[in-house]
Amino acid sequence: MSHEHHHHEDEPTGLDRRSFLKMAGFSFGAFLAGCREGKLEKAIPFLIQPEEVTPGLAYWYSTTCGGCNAACGILAKNRDGRPVKLEGNSDHSLSRGGLCAIGQASLLGLYDSQRLRNPVAHGKQVTWNELDAAVRAALERHSSAGVRILTGTVNSPTTLSVINRFLARYSNAQHIQYDAISYSAILDAHTISHGVRVLPRYHIEKAKTIVSFAADFLGSWISPVEFTSAYRKGRSLNETPPIFSQHIQFESALSLTGSNADIRVAVSPQEMQLCLRHLMEIILRKAGQSVTGLTVENSFADRIASIAEKLWAGRGESLVICGVNDRKMQLMVNLINEILGNYGTTLDIRRPSQQAQGNDAGLKSLLDEIDEGKVGVLITAGCNPLYDLPAPDLAAQLLTIPLTVAMSDRLDETASAAQFACPLPHPLEGWNDAEPVAGIVAITQPVIQSLSNGRSLAESLNCWMGEKKSAYELIREEWNANIFKRTSGASTFDEFWNTAVMAGFAQVNPLPVKSSFNQSSFASVSSDTAFPAAGSLMLVLHPSLATFDGRHAHNPWLQELPDPVTKIVWDNYASISKSTAQRLNVAEGDVVAVNAGDGTRVELPVHIQPGQHDGVVAIALGYGRKGTDRFSDIGPKWIQSRPTVEKGNLVGINAAPMIAFVNGTLQYTGRSVTLAPTGRSVELVSTQEYDSLYNPDLLGKPTTERRPIVQETTLAAYSKDPSAGSFHKHEIVSMWSDDHKYAGHHWGMVIDLTACTGCSACVVSCQAENNIPVVGRDEVRRNREMTWIRIDRYYDESDGKFSVAHQPMMCQHCGNAPCETVCPVLATVHNEEGLNQQVYNRCVGTRYCANNCPYKIRRFNWFHYYRGDDMQRMVLNPDVTVRDRGVMEKCSFCIQRIQLAKIEAKRDGRPLKDGDVQPACAQSCPASAITFGDMNDSGSRIAKLMKNPRYYRVLEEIGVNPSVGYMTLVHDREEKKEVTHG
Amino acid sequence: MNWLKSRLLTVILGVAVLLAGSVFLTSFTNNIKLPDNHQGYEPVQPIAYSHRLHAGELGIDCLHCHGGAERSKNAGIPPVKTCMNCHKFVTAPWVDVKAEGDLADKEKRKSREIISPELKKLFEHMGRDSASAPANPAPIEWVRVHNLPAHVYFNHSAHVNAGVSCQKCHGAVETMERVRQVSDLSMGWCVNCHREANVFGISGTKVQASTDCVTCHH
Repeated sequence: MSHEHHHHEDEPTGLDRRSFLKMAGFSFGAFLAGCREGKLEKAIPFLIQPEEVTPGLAYWYSTTCGGCNAACGILAKNRDGRPVKLEGNSDHSLSRGGLCAIGQASLLGLYDSQRLRNPVAHGKQVTWNELDAAVRAALERHSSAGVRILTGTVNSPTTLSVINRFLARYSNAQHIQYDAISYSAILDAHTISHGVRVLPRYHIEKAKTIVSFAADFLGSWISPVEFTSAYRKGRSLNETPPIFSQHIQFESALSLTGSNADIRVAVSPQEMQLCLRHLMEIILRKAGQSVTGLTVENSFADRIASIAEKLWAGRGESLVICGVNDRKMQLMVNLINEILGNYGTTLDIRRPSQQAQGNDAGLKSLLDEIDEGKVGVLITAGCNPLYDLPAPDLAAQLLTIPLTVAMSDRLDETASAAQFACPLPHPLEGWNDAEPVAGIVAITQPVIQSLSNGRSLAESLNCWMGEKKSAYELIREEWNANIFKRTSGASTFDEFWNTAVMAGFAQVNPLPVKSSFNQSSFASVSSDTAFPAAGSLMLVLHPSLATFDGRHAHNPWLQELPDPVTKIVWDNYASISKSTAQRLNVAEGDVVAVNAGDGTRVELPVHIQPGQHDGVVAIALGYGRKGTDRFSDIGPKWIQSRPTVEKGNLVGINAAPMIAFVNGTLQYTGRSVTLAPTGRSVELVSTQEYDSLYNPDLLGKPTTERRPIVQETTLAAYSKDPSAGSFHKHEIVSMWSDDHKYAGHHWGMVIDLTACTGCSACVVSCQAENNIPVVGRDEVRRNREMTWIRIDRYYDESDGKFSVAHQPMMCQHCGNAPCETVCPVLATVHNEEGLNQQVYNRCVGTRYCANNCPYKIRRFNWFHYYRGDDMQRMVLNPDVTVRDRGVMEKCSFCIQRIQLAKIEAKRDGRPLKDGDVQPACAQSCPASAITFGDMNDSGSRIAKLMKNPRYYRVLEEIGVNPSVGYMTLVHDREEKKEVTHG
Repeated sequence: MNWLKSRLLTVILGVAVLLAGSVFLTSFTNNIKLPDNHQGYEPVQPIAYSHRLHAGELGIDCLHCHGGAERSKNAGIPPVKTCMNCHKFVTAPWVDVKAEGDLADKEKRKSREIISPELKKLFEHMGRDSASAPANPAPIEWVRVHNLPAHVYFNHSAHVNAGVSCQKCHGAVETMERVRQVSDLSMGWCVNCHREANVFGISGTKVQASTDCVTCHH
């Protein structure tokens, strides 16, 4: 209920301005239109206005992100009773102000009209009372046969305590947790090596040397926002000498993390084991242990020896991590870290992470029990085993379980197969809590009146125990009973609770963890590694950086987010290297059948991926979700349009059946597969068609000339000369007179390429802030994507070395803007503060400006884009115009935020200070790579950065005088031999 | 050349006829406006609330009810609760209440409560106490008078805090029985005021009133 809530009561004769102009020429029609009144608009105020709400003013709630289990702190910006934007909470001790693309987009998930709203029993909608009665009766009957609760990771203290109370009522009851992207091996390995089943908390910021074996910690591994922020902290060039960690990545496919590594080694999954074992042997020897038989000859020996040297020299300040869910490898990693003395510094198991608690062995025994018919009641919550597990018979077996209850946000694969489906509330519409890291308890509070009739797991279980309590009551009880006593400082519970709700989290004493290193665990590291037959390929399955494990597959923002590495949208694919593609005689887009030995197969288009190991096929999980055929309708309909997915087809293919259960853990890598072309071919849609920094042959120039776009240098060169890597500066001759002084503010932006990881959080943040539509696969194929920020990803394979650079590119707000001079209607002009304004109501859509833009960042509304389902219009930011067909648009530097900050400063009678204006992209960047500010303010951060020798501007030599600058990309690696541009 | 002359003549004549026609049309109506110009719009409201009485005669400050104007982009229409702060007690014009009181005295009876017909409508939205509360309390659906197009962003607080009086844009609301749109709210009208303010200031105070497009269009 809000003021400014307009009801349009269309009067039959009423015409709005735009539709009128569509029908008649302006000059003559003007005489007629004035005779009629327009729509009758109503203004409906509150009946009783809530104290914290002033119509037109945003108000903020601190809460916790529910996009994954990392539990980052967020601030939800509300307008008129609905959240319109999520931002990172800069006071939060885990996420420190950043928020990833998935977190940003989880807001759109709230307004998904296909979410499950009401309980369903046997396919029919029922009331909660009916469902509760039926479930209680069935529990009574079947509980003696065994009650199993299967969930994803639960780190909510309240939910865990309710689950435990529930289980205690039955003689044969268990709670099993699993993660679709499993980290079980890390926890299992700690049981062996340290006597306690924990996931360490990694302090990446404290590590001077980071050796990662396929752990994509900047992309999807455990807690990417926290790790990205920490990674940035450990790589600062501000001090002399620079405090700059060296990051070495061993991996088979190209991950986002690998693309940022200082040294990246492409290895096959076997070679990775081999390298790890070799590394362990050298380190054990250095520590005076006698070891034999661990190392086989390999071609990486020199490299590993030098890495071991570095790790040994920096004992206690290094970190070895591994992203492979293999107990043996994780055990080796634990031993290396233990010997290096990293426990207690870069890894913490006294205050462990609880962001992943899944236990694959438990899952395996549950699947066996189900197979043997030993389960009477199966309750699943917040997980989707029929989709994300390699258990082809599970669907049939579920039908034999006497009572199945699935709690889910939609009628997904599992919920539609269960007898009872209970809607879970979206994390933004219900109370919850979490303890992502021991000692940090986070609160999730509702930021909107619930849009569904959902009920949390804790509420439902509590209700089936015969006691109806709201999630709020349950959490307060739990906190009063168990969390409050872990605090020191707060005098009363209410004081503690109120402070925690306001901050979104509280720091409490962690529960003690008893661990002791077990020397004998060395023995369990054996040396067997089976090598595949020559010519065969190994499978690498990895989570998608957009849909994650599939839980966000219904989110159109994420489906249309270009993959940070491949830049492909709306699909998954089988990535193979160029030489493998040649060997198999397949080209980009050719559909191949990926066959595992046991008859499991998936058919996917091929994507040729530079940097990938020749013996590897990489496939993203998280696609092919039930119901994603809904996107066949997305995007404009016109004579040549092609649907995003054919009717009845799903977006991408589910690769989960290819996961293997080996030795009780879910194995995502290492499975031997064969590829067989099917003869079919599809077009993979990518937002970037040219991947190199070097001129293409077509341009006639020699290909050795690097285009002056990304300045890159090495740490060694930078230490000698901070301006190392700078492009040759041309003398810029300008025909423009210097008559624009920008007396007041002069806004500018600096992007530090050394900090930017290419994670794409800014892209979705911008999309949410600026009402950017989703256009569908076909429009992206026609290069008509609408996102205002594009992250260019360049591969560099010169000098026989492979490297990657990410560069966010948005409107550069040029001082001498080429777009402005060609606009015939002055729809794009400069303002007093150096902004390149785009005036939608003036634009007539000639598109001259886009043609004349050297950075190609302008976006044209070719259509009136239909915004998904109607409910998703609720996500629109009321401070930004929704652009109509025929209008050009582009980055505005979040002008609405600049305006608001200026108005607020004037209202409070103070000058605008540095940091008052933060565009959406800069706010959400976990690496704080983006700095925005007033270039005229000599004390501002941006003015200081502009004096930094690393500062440069892209295509400066063409004289457009951009307001956006970049900072040289620095890596701690060997110099490439290159042909410098003269 | 004759041919050319005649064609030129035709064009001139055509334009002249159009102009004459428009002048002729204008003489029939004084209501010729550009599209979306609702100057003079004075819709009937669900409750005949009088600004003349409240703001004029009783001298209640504009911000008493439209407090958002100081803090927010929206001035805000007061919630029913704000009306009830006074109208819990004030149920009819004083003269009517007094007349009933006098009559009751004369007839030697307790005076009856007088509720004016307009306030009766108000009480249908929210009761004066828990006993008289309506079953389904609903907010009042006022008809919006001042309405800017969707691509214009106007911020009340920026203007009020700069010292612009409410009347500068809304006219002498305190004299209006029913609110009427006084200004045409066109872009030219906005920009004129901004230009004047930059030269003359507002009530003698120097101000910066930007005329950049993105000040209002974003």
